[in-house]
Amino acid sequence: MATSTPAKTVTTPIADIGRSPLRSSSRSPVSRRIGRVLGYIALAIAAAGVLLPFFWMLMSSLKTNNAVFTIPIQWIPETFVWSNYVEIWQKSDMTTWLKNTMVLALAVTALQVFTGSFAAYGFSKIRFPGRDLLFLVYLGTIAVPWQAYMIPQFILMSKINLSNTLWSIIALQAFGAFGVFLMKQFYETVPEELSEAARIDGLSEYGIYRRIMLPLSVPALASLTLLTFVNTWNDYLGPLIYLRSPEIWTIQLGLKSFVGQYNAEYALIMTGSVLSVLPIAIIFMVGQRYFVEGIATSGLKG
Amino acid sequence: MKRSIVTGLGIAAVVSLALTGCSSSDGDTDPGSTDPASPAAPVTVTLAGWSLATTPEFQMLADAFHEVNPDITVEVQEYDATNYDTQMIADLAAGSAPDIYVQKNLMNFFTYQNGGQLMDVSDVASSYDGNASGLGLESYQVDGATYAIPYRQDSWYVYYNKDLFDAAGVEYPDGSWTWDDYTSTAKELTSGLQGAGSEALGAYQHTWQSVVQGFALAQTPDADLLSGDYSYLAPYYERSLDLQQSGAQVTYGTATTNSLTYQSQFGTQKAAMMPMGSWYVATLIAQQANGDADTFNWGLAPAPQFDSSTTDVPVTFGDPTGLGINPGIDESKVEAAKAFLAFIGGEDAAKALAGIGITPAYTSDAVTEAYFALKGVPSDDLSKFAFSTHDTRPENPLSPDTATIQHILADAHSAIMSESSPVDAAVSEAGARAENEVLD
Amino acid sequence: MATTLAVQRPGSRLKRRNTLLGWSFILPNFLGFAVLTLVPVIALFYIAFTDWNAFGTANWVGVDNFTRMVGDRSFMVALLNTFYYAAFHIPLTLGLSLALALLLNRKLRGVAFFRTAAFFPYVTSIVAIVLVWNMLFSPELGPINQFLTAIGISDPPGWTTSADWSMPAVIIVGTWREMGYYMLLFLAGLQTIPPELYEAARVDGADAWQRFWNVTVPSLRPTTFFVTVMLTIGSFKVFDLILVMTNGGPGQSTLVLSQYIYNKGFLENQLGYASSISIVLFLICISVTVVQFSVNKRRDA
Repeated sequence: MATSTPAKTVTTPIADIGRSPLRSSSRSPVSRRIGRVLGYIALAIAAAGVLLPFFWMLMSSLKTNNAVFTIPIQWIPETFVWSNYVEIWQKSDMTTWLKNTMVLALAVTALQVFTGSFAAYGFSKIRFPGRDLLFLVYLGTIAVPWQAYMIPQFILMSKINLSNTLWSIIALQAFGAFGVFLMKQFYETVPEELSEAARIDGLSEYGIYRRIMLPLSVPALASLTLLTFVNTWNDYLGPLIYLRSPEIWTIQLGLKSFVGQYNAEYALIMTGSVLSVLPIAIIFMVGQRYFVEGIATSGLKG
Repeated sequence: MKRSIVTGLGIAAVVSLALTGCSSSDGDTDPGSTDPASPAAPVTVTLAGWSLATTPEFQMLADAFHEVNPDITVEVQEYDATNYDTQMIADLAAGSAPDIYVQKNLMNFFTYQNGGQLMDVSDVASSYDGNASGLGLESYQVDGATYAIPYRQDSWYVYYNKDLFDAAGVEYPDGSWTWDDYTSTAKELTSGLQGAGSEALGAYQHTWQSVVQGFALAQTPDADLLSGDYSYLAPYYERSLDLQQSGAQVTYGTATTNSLTYQSQFGTQKAAMMPMGSWYVATLIAQQANGDADTFNWGLAPAPQFDSSTTDVPVTFGDPTGLGINPGIDESKVEAAKAFLAFIGGEDAAKALAGIGITPAYTSDAVTEAYFALKGVPSDDLSKFAFSTHDTRPENPLSPDTATIQHILADAHSAIMSESSPVDAAVSEAGARAENEVLD
Repeated sequence: MATTLAVQRPGSRLKRRNTLLGWSFILPNFLGFAVLTLVPVIALFYIAFTDWNAFGTANWVGVDNFTRMVGDRSFMVALLNTFYYAAFHIPLTLGLSLALALLLNRKLRGVAFFRTAAFFPYVTSIVAIVLVWNMLFSPELGPINQFLTAIGISDPPGWTTSADWSMPAVIIVGTWREMGYYMLLFLAGLQTIPPELYEAARVDGADAWQRFWNVTVPSLRPTTFFVTVMLTIGSFKVFDLILVMTNGGPGQSTLVLSQYIYNKGFLENQLGYASSISIVLFLICISVTVVQFSVNKRRDA
């Protein structure tokens, strides 16, 4: 069986140049195109199915409150209440919520990505005693459900006077084990020869981290950035406990304020939810190519 | 070396948290504190409330009190309506809770009282000796001392849509119904409405466990939540299942999966009758005013009874809502806080509350008048009777086991109403679980 | 004697240097982590042996909470349900997300759109997701059952209103929600595979399936390890999906450990007992993780 020999670049035999790498030449162009069209149709149907809830959310954001939940499901509103999109800015503090959520998401993401990747380098590339045990401790905390230690954590945060400030959420989320774990796994895919070569060239470990590891792990960094951003953006339980004053509410908290004791303005909740998904969708669509066009070469020359 | 640092940190953490636990429950103020509050000095006390934008009662009480006592300002702090108790428990544990906070229901009142998070306010309660039973103070009494003062007392009635009754050609409720009368009327309504070409159903039963269990517990003689014997629930569930299987009301499965709201079911005339709590009156009036609900004639009828023996003073259920004082309050503010508590349970506050459609704890003719003077409230005699005359029993008896048992019964409720389990099996399962988890 | 000493000293110096170096990298993250996460978690381990109720003192009760757990029928139900959910959710999500990543790892037209579509369920608020899926699953009027009846199934399942079908419904929604998330991680992992490996395999005459097994799978191992561990822990810890979708019901058919912890801790204020259950959940997760860790390490060597 073919064994992988990564150290050398390979020249393609002349006879293979021009041959489409993914298809053997026995299929006719027509059947290939039909296959592709069918594939696209299948993908489109799947995408439609996957996007269905968002479509309902969008449609519901244009209904009246009592028309959101009906039997049977109303996919298209009877009357389009476009004013909901105006009302939500007037009736609620959407701008403040957006601002707070953005601040939190950016701060937490930046801190998680940098301290996490920094720590991950230490865990993956440097051997020191107790390393594996410490890493297991990190992993272990992921395994503990947050509800369980939420109250002791809250007491601790209140004692150091962080609760009811945006700093509380930043502090809580920025130093989690998730980022460390993710980056460590990606650093492990980078062959040791690279670092060895750099060390021989006289680079310090910090230099290796900055000059070699970071650029190589752009896809992983991009993933971590996106995932941390999304998690912070959608976080509800954390802000519920720590962000009490209305001035520091995030979007998720603010939307819940439309659920009163005896009534709920569901249409506006849907409007707010749609508005809160849009920034992320845009960021994703724009940024997702970083997952593909990350590394140009593996840097391994013969 | 690193390991011992971690261990040291751990021990320090645990010790500090345990000590914190000690101090936040003490609630006693240092013996060295000096002057009691001189009534003339301006004082601000903080009050916990929720959904301030849509729940005006807290601010209204604060303002009304301030008018009578200009030296005392009550500052309302906002909490989350659905997660109020989670937030409050976290705050009390961390010592950052406000001076006065709301007792949303009796289940959590027990938690707070048992955890030493409520100050003894028996002196405030005693000033109401004359009207004590009208206030429902017994609910907040433990071992002879009172720990909170109620300001609102909701009860459950039946809301009915007069226009739909007319369309179906069925007579309005007359205040003497038993549950069998309710059931047969619902079926009559459904076929009458169908005949008249309407899509509305005879009744709507909301998905909460209290809609069935609250009545069963309050109305069945000798029913005891803490006994482990829940057979008193069976006849009530049989009737509910009968209604949904005969098509007189939407099935539980449909109601839950389509997230039906009771406000829309009754407000947009999808059902002719609905048992619901008294808080819905204010919501319905507001929704009829802003167009979320249809404009139609409706009325209140007293809750259907177990049998005809209690028709004169119909038995229904409902928990009081009250205010309690955080024992961590500053010594100098205690008098002001107690003054506020005395105010909210009194007639003036009750009239103000009634004026915005809230059912106050304090009952009197003046209060009833204020309530029915509100625009949109049905003013027929039966509605007035339903509002003013009832024997309301608490939904949650005071006990450490209540919360657990209510959860067990909630599971039984969903099992029965979704028809995943027959009534008798679910009821005995609930009893067995209660034995296993709590009552051993 | 002198030679062994000479050999040993550089070794221990290197060790010390590496230790300092390693810690200098870890420290920024570790400081925040230790204070804000590790300390409360350690406190949790202490509380599990007490009867704390958030206020008041935590009285030591030894292993009472654990003995209570053994006889607690609801705990057993929650435990079994948690394993039920994990047993199906993990392989389904793993397979689907890997398949999606492989499928969308090429320059198709509009691939950006399809990738975004796959990721959307994860980004949309869970409340909206659950509302829509509940309606889709509605037994009498929902499209899914209408479709099933149309193709001839006479008694379609009750989904979230039936004790037998509620967990499958939850598993379906959970998988649908998370496959985009793990697809993203696999996509990033696929980028780290040098194209030369595929070329070499192709030259050696390997077909697509063989290339997958001999190039893709081994190269993806760190990513797969990450995904599997996170997926496993996440499945055992599943909480908000079930809380919002079925609230543990009907009956107790979808009650899982996380929700049981939440009920006991927050709704019934028995934080000591809830903490002890958390420790059991933690032990389950950590033992599975350790197994995966050592399997992974052995393959590395």
